[in-house]
Amino acid sequence: MPPSIHPVDLISALRQKHLTPAIVFLTSRRACDEAMEAFDHANFVLPTTRQEAIAKALEQVMAHHPSIAEHPMIPIVQRIGVAAHHAGHLPTWKIAIEELMRQGHLDAVFATTTLAAGVDFPARTVVITQSSIRKSRDFTDLTAGEVQQIAGRAGRRGKDHVGFAVITPSPYIDLSVLTKGLTGQPEAIDSQFTISYPMVLNLLKAHPHEHIQGILAKSFAQFQLNQRAEVLEQKLDALHIKMEPFGPRVCTDWITQWHTFDHARRHRHTRHPTYRAEPPEISARLPFLTPGRVVGFSRGRGVVLRQYRSKGQKNSMLTVLRPESAVTECPVTSVKEVYDRTYDCPETSTYPWCSTDTFDRLSHQLEELPLRLPLLPILASTDSEPLPDAIVQSLEDFSCPTCPSRSACQKDFLTASRLRQEQQRHTKSIQALRTSLWHRFQERVEVLQKFGYLTLTTQLTAEGEWARLIRIDHSLLITELIRAEAFTGADPSLLAGILASLAHDDDRPGAFPRISPGLSSLLGQVRKLAESLSPDEDPPLLRADVAALVERWVADQTLTWIGLCRLTTMAEGDIYRLLARTLEYLSQVQTLKGTHPGLAESASQAIAAIRRGVLEELP
Amino acid sequence: MTTDELEQLLAQQPVAVLHRLARGRVQRHFRAGKRRLIELLLQHSAQNRAGFESDLLTLIGERQAGPTSGSRPRHETPPIAHKKAASRSSDSEPSEPPISLTEWLQGIGVPAPQPFVQDPWQIEALAAVNETDVVISVPTGSGKTYVAIEAARRAMEDNRSVIYTSPLKALSNTKYAEFSKIFGPDKVGILTGDRQENGQAPLLVMTTEILRNLLYDAASGEIDVRLDTLGLVILDESQYLADPERGVVWEETIIFCPSQARLLLLSASIGNPQDIADWLTSIRATPCRLVRHSKRTVPLRAGYLHPNGKLTPLFRTLGIPQGHPGHLHPEAKHLFMEYEEETLPSGRPRR
Ligand SMILES: Nc1ncnc2c1ncn2[C@@H]1O[C@H](COP(=O)(O)OP(=O)(O)OP(=O)(O)O)[C@@H](O)[C@H]1O
Ligand SMILES: [Mg+2]
Repeated sequence: MPPSIHPVDLISALRQKHLTPAIVFLTSRRACDEAMEAFDHANFVLPTTRQEAIAKALEQVMAHHPSIAEHPMIPIVQRIGVAAHHAGHLPTWKIAIEELMRQGHLDAVFATTTLAAGVDFPARTVVITQSSIRKSRDFTDLTAGEVQQIAGRAGRRGKDHVGFAVITPSPYIDLSVLTKGLTGQPEAIDSQFTISYPMVLNLLKAHPHEHIQGILAKSFAQFQLNQRAEVLEQKLDALHIKMEPFGPRVCTDWITQWHTFDHARRHRHTRHPTYRAEPPEISARLPFLTPGRVVGFSRGRGVVLRQYRSKGQKNSMLTVLRPESAVTECPVTSVKEVYDRTYDCPETSTYPWCSTDTFDRLSHQLEELPLRLPLLPILASTDSEPLPDAIVQSLEDFSCPTCPSRSACQKDFLTASRLRQEQQRHTKSIQALRTSLWHRFQERVEVLQKFGYLTLTTQLTAEGEWARLIRIDHSLLITELIRAEAFTGADPSLLAGILASLAHDDDRPGAFPRISPGLSSLLGQVRKLAESLSPDEDPPLLRADVAALVERWVADQTLTWIGLCRLTTMAEGDIYRLLARTLEYLSQVQTLKGTHPGLAESASQAIAAIRRGVLEELP
Repeated sequence: MTTDELEQLLAQQPVAVLHRLARGRVQRHFRAGKRRLIELLLQHSAQNRAGFESDLLTLIGERQAGPTSGSRPRHETPPIAHKKAASRSSDSEPSEPPISLTEWLQGIGVPAPQPFVQDPWQIEALAAVNETDVVISVPTGSGKTYVAIEAARRAMEDNRSVIYTSPLKALSNTKYAEFSKIFGPDKVGILTGDRQENGQAPLLVMTTEILRNLLYDAASGEIDVRLDTLGLVILDESQYLADPERGVVWEETIIFCPSQARLLLLSASIGNPQDIADWLTSIRATPCRLVRHSKRTVPLRAGYLHPNGKLTPLFRTLGIPQGHPGHLHPEAKHLFMEYEEETLPSGRPRR
């Protein structure tokens, strides 16, 4: 069986069941183009009346958009009534295909999922061949929301009684992702709020520093953080009730008191017999190497079964349960790591120093341990929680041994201290949820102060005043380049080339053979600066080929669109988007007329030079 | 929590928990090994550490409360023979026989032309937008544009100006052409990153980024756009709020939208429209109205087409069985299993 249905068979099957017009979603642009090529040798021709209708409709579109007149796909679209539609095409060609579809001239369109949002492009049937899509450089499973947006294109209001979403398998398919997506609830929206440098500058331009926290609090991000905090607060309330039986006793803070006492007591017991012979870092470990403790050796891990010291032996020894239920004896010094993990292990007086049930359970638990375990922070100090010296020294100072609530304290201590820890953890999390945005903001402020865009009193400096007008990605790099005078004297084509390399965040391969020495050295400077800024801002891709391409388009006014496309392996649609995005970046630089007239002028010239041919032709 | 503590806590979690955390945070997380996954999660959480930590603690809490059958790792599901019995109890299959292909294909065709009648939700939304901010969350193709157009018309008749934003330049261009046809070219302008036309018109189409910039400029008191006469701001495709890179722009726009202007958020179906409405209520002058429904105007049916050309319904039922992904049509199920058996390289686990 073929891994997926042949495009010609697919369209024939849809036609035969009257399921056309259809949109066939494929994984990639290449898949769309190949699907079209599959019709080359097929005996698949529309009746002449329909071919003529397509030709006529295309002519109308051409009146507005002459650039599609020579489009190489026109003959085949006309012959078979099927087209491809993806981001590699020029916007004008996509408009033409959309128009043909809207007027009902096409039976099917092969498309990528970039078609999914908004554009009015309905059909009777949607064919789904994939369960994941390419999103910024990687493939991810479709969300329920996306599956529903894609499937939702089926069934046109006023033109269909019913819409059909047909799944046909390909090697890229996980059926359960699609069935769950079709039958499930769309995902909840989760705030993606981030605090950028321009945001900080613009906020501080318009509002005093002390108002900012209130403004950030209005974000959906904070709204959702508050929702989470409220859940935790409810848990905290519940914990409060659970803590009631463990309120003040003879001591107000009996939990800490008992903890300290208990600690001091154990400490003394274990320390005394062994303290003399061992170096401090070893002896510090001994109190923790109790039965049930998980430890690491240079090879593998084990669970301590017993600690002992043989007569005449210098080192303290351990009996350890190792993987596959092996029991070994080893000196304490061979323990490389002591983990923050213990298992219940009541000691018995004979080998293997615990009951067989315990032994079996421990063997099992040892196998199930996660790869990474937290370490006990022992080496830093002799105690996990440093105790005041006075307390450690005189155990007799504690009133616990004779206290009337001693047995109650002893009995409740574990539960009470666990509850209290949980309380503390929740309180901390709530605190963090309420203030995290503000902290993020402060971090950004500090960076902007470091670079001199903000004063220590968070006023905008002269530099900050213009820098806030650059509201695009990599704003810090761009403003730092301007301050470093990197663009001074650079002509419009160089400026456009550099901004193009900043604006282009796609890593689809493209190639361009030559790059001018001027651009190459400037790009080197940009790269260096980007690297030095990388602790404070993620560096852009800075592709030399796209920089060179845009430089050429701006510098050489005789270059035609077709000529430009021949210079690179990039798809037309990508070149178009690259230039459109470069225009956006240039128009931001253009707003700096007041402070950087030369640069702004250069940007204006570049803008004028970019806008020609196809780029002038939009609806 | 310090980063080390967080890392340790992550390391203690089973991979399934990490994958649940990674959903929506990390691209292609299902391909990453545990260690790499932790690295990626830590990287991503730098932006919103508190939210991440609380999600983690919630997940841990859920697990401690006892594993639910739904979140069990896949390998624990019993072999096929038991699975049938188990699934009958939890997700019971309907007793009616599965529908036939003929039934499934019935009703294809073009409805007779009908006079335009507003849908009840459209009436409700238009009434509400006279008074307050409105969030609309309805399925794709329901007719949100109609609400946008009528609301814009009314605002303009009132001498208030209107801004319509969309996330995509292509969509902005389309809407510009569409609105120009409806209201006349002198009434409509467009502002995108690379195109400015008729910027003084009462109805301006723009990308959301441009509106955000306008609002910043207005806040620092230095622009001419008549924000004081602004009566209505329409944010189309506002499910973009969830976009990892651009979502923040929608938040900024909504936070800084002048209080006298009504906000109209148009969105495809999303999971928590009530949250969005509650959020708007909490920061805006008047309580926000939510208009939502999830019923499609044109009913949808799902099918399965085998590579050999055989077509069958995908589900046992005619419509899509909401909440029951397991109600597959026996024929589709059989064909797909056959497909997987023949095409999967040996050794790869079957789902
Ligand atoms: N009340 C109505 N009766 C009949 N047809 C309608 C009605 N309202 C809208 N339509 C039609 O429904 C179609 C889809 O409308 P529209 O493009 O506004 O959908 P949408 O909700 O914006 O979808 P999307 O999520 O794809 O943007 C249009 O052709 C429109 O003319
Ligand atoms: Mg719409």
